[in-house]
Amino acid sequence: MANPQIAEVGNLALVLGLAASVYVVFAAVFSQIKRRNEFFLSARNGVWLIAGLATLAVVILEWALITHQFRFEYVASHVSRDQPLFYTITALWGGQQGSLLFWVWLLSLFGAIVLLQHPGESDPLIPWVIAFLAFTSAFFFSLLVFVSSPFTLLAQAPADGIGLNPLLQDPGMIIHPVTQYLGYVGFAVPFAFAFAALVTGKLGYDWIRTTRRWALFAWLFLSLGLLFGMRWAYVELGWGGYWGWDPVENAALIPWLTGTAYLHSVMIQEKRGMLKVWNLVLILLTFLLTILGTFITRSGVIQSVHAFGVSSMGPFFLAYIAAVLVVTVYFIYVRLDKLKEENRLDSMLSREATFLLNNLILLGAAVATLWGTVFPLISEVIVGKQITVAAPFFNQVNGPIFLALVLLMGVCTLIGWRRASPRHLVRNFMSPAAVAVVTMVVLMLIGVRDPYGLIALVAAAFVLTTILLEFYRGTRARMRMYKENAAIAQAQLVNKNRRRYGGYIVHLGVILAVIGIVGSTFFQTSAQQNLAPGQTVELGPYLVQFDRLTVTREPNAQVIGADLVVFENGRQIDTMRPLKAYYPAADQMTTEVAVRTTMRDDLYVILAGWNDDGSATLKVIINPLVLWLWVGFGVFILGTIITMLPDPREAKALERVRAEKAWVGA
Amino acid sequence: MESTLRRPPVKSTTAARGNSIKFIAGGIVLLGVIAFVMFNTIQANTVYYYTLSEVQTQQASLVGKTIRVNGPLDKTSIRNDQKNLVLEFNLVQDGIVLPVVYQGVAPDTMSSGESVVAEGKLDSDGVFRAQSILVKCPSKYQESPVQY
Repeated sequence: MANPQIAEVGNLALVLGLAASVYVVFAAVFSQIKRRNEFFLSARNGVWLIAGLATLAVVILEWALITHQFRFEYVASHVSRDQPLFYTITALWGGQQGSLLFWVWLLSLFGAIVLLQHPGESDPLIPWVIAFLAFTSAFFFSLLVFVSSPFTLLAQAPADGIGLNPLLQDPGMIIHPVTQYLGYVGFAVPFAFAFAALVTGKLGYDWIRTTRRWALFAWLFLSLGLLFGMRWAYVELGWGGYWGWDPVENAALIPWLTGTAYLHSVMIQEKRGMLKVWNLVLILLTFLLTILGTFITRSGVIQSVHAFGVSSMGPFFLAYIAAVLVVTVYFIYVRLDKLKEENRLDSMLSREATFLLNNLILLGAAVATLWGTVFPLISEVIVGKQITVAAPFFNQVNGPIFLALVLLMGVCTLIGWRRASPRHLVRNFMSPAAVAVVTMVVLMLIGVRDPYGLIALVAAAFVLTTILLEFYRGTRARMRMYKENAAIAQAQLVNKNRRRYGGYIVHLGVILAVIGIVGSTFFQTSAQQNLAPGQTVELGPYLVQFDRLTVTREPNAQVIGADLVVFENGRQIDTMRPLKAYYPAADQMTTEVAVRTTMRDDLYVILAGWNDDGSATLKVIINPLVLWLWVGFGVFILGTIITMLPDPREAKALERVRAEKAWVGA
Repeated sequence: MESTLRRPPVKSTTAARGNSIKFIAGGIVLLGVIAFVMFNTIQANTVYYYTLSEVQTQQASLVGKTIRVNGPLDKTSIRNDQKNLVLEFNLVQDGIVLPVVYQGVAPDTMSSGESVVAEGKLDSDGVFRAQSILVKCPSKYQESPVQY
């Protein structure tokens, strides 16, 4: 088949995907209104059809990418002949059309997985779940069909393509979009169940229980998306940091914040039957923020360092968001009588109260960040001028908010459910407070003076102690009760209560990450100098000696490096080689920083430039404690996975619920 | 995160109702504080966008203010002193020329840049002293994440 026919097939798959999605919405809704089960069965088949069509479109685009079909505009602009195969395959999500196709493909697969998880027709939520998911895939298919198709052909195939932006040719940047999208798309499933629960009026804890792992899965991948994005910025962009409050970064953070709030507040509905409306609002917000995030990253609507091409998708996204918002809020209003609280707050001194506070704080951070992010758009509408909000805004507002959140994380562990006794609380409080004081004294003795950095590190020490104490007490109790040795007791403690201790491990990861963030934010030092061969630059304990410039060739780039020798306290400890690479195909330079990581700090060297006389300009940065940011992410992810593992207690509880229901029904 | 079963509903007492009110009040105060901090800090951190012609016509009133200027880059004007890390270039549009000086590492995409967004202050001598620059590349690149 020639290119035009294949492109036709691709476009046809998208059009049919749209048609199938629309059909599934109507068939599923009709089956419920008219109680016609055959339409539900047909809608179920439709879900498989959508997944098949989206897969077909992905396969065609991949084929075009891998076999260099440069008549495809998308291929010509994202692939070049000298590009490694890995980056050619992953160019699927390197550009706008491809990544939208990737979005709808993931969504269609998730829809199919939901059907596999719920075989048969017993669950009354499922028709509405698939109706909502199909409605969403109809939206994304229509973007691909009506706004920007990945199968647009050029009049003539160019000899070679432009290739993927060299900055994106980095393993981190390849994984980052996938994880980000899995997180974004993943939240569609819990929201679809919430929506179904609203429509059917089955607003107990069932929809949350059913989607607990989906929500955790989506949240895990949003976290991974943040991790890989930050890591990429740190090693690839070469400015010494990992977070700049850019709109696209914020777009990834905001749903993570509301998602975090949701994961906490559903626990209160589970335990106390409270916060039902609030949980629905949080999952609605989280889902819509993932859509908004996709829009911000894909539309270029806000001036961003990511500077995606500007497109005309805005009205489509706004219409979709408005439709979901209006319909959901309407149903919440209609169902208010079924959303009554089963309990009230017993005491301000209870874990419920700390969870509520945590929710307010997370939501506050989300609102502040969102406000700063969309401010340019709002100002353009109101005063006709784009006004941007500089990074200090986000730091000044979110800094104290996050500090409060960290402290709350510690206090929360000390307070029991329902009603805590103040005396008990004070006793639990003593040792973490003592550790905090000791930490402060030690930090001041070693010369830490920055007040904000000091406060944050002391807070981290306090919370770290509360978490470790929690593990210590639990382990000791098991050792006494079951005569286990310390290691086994520790492992069993987590194993026997995966959700609780997995959660504490997540908190542990957050605290480690906070230590890394505080260290690299408040205590960063840097020097910038032009060096002739043999000259040195000194920074902190390090002495960096520049030896010579070296030039090497790679298949698709020319690489200039600076050979450096690093000394610490007069002793040679390492050699480093920061690079600049020139990519002729894209006529672009990229910077490859050299980083030497220790537990204490990162020595981060950028080759800023060079001169004909053989001298080089180096920028040297010391980022204290930044390793702990990445370690913290690792611990965090481990903890999240532990909370997702099958929990024996959960299975038992579920059985009891089923038994109770059967009893009531009888 | 214990997965114990929901406890049976407790009768709501006056104390419990009082707690709810206390909590709602506390929540409102907390959100109020966040909103207050937000609006206060946003004042100090907003940066206005100007085009080259606006910079020219309003020059007198803009001197010393932090602003963002967006304009096409004249590639022939780029002078990059790599020893002292001083980058100089002109933004040119409709005959208006704005010289920009940036102290720092030149972005990798400078030589292929089409337009530049510079954030900084306008000097009384008409030179724009940029604190950060953002290079926009020709549209053939969909992504050009470069900021210093």
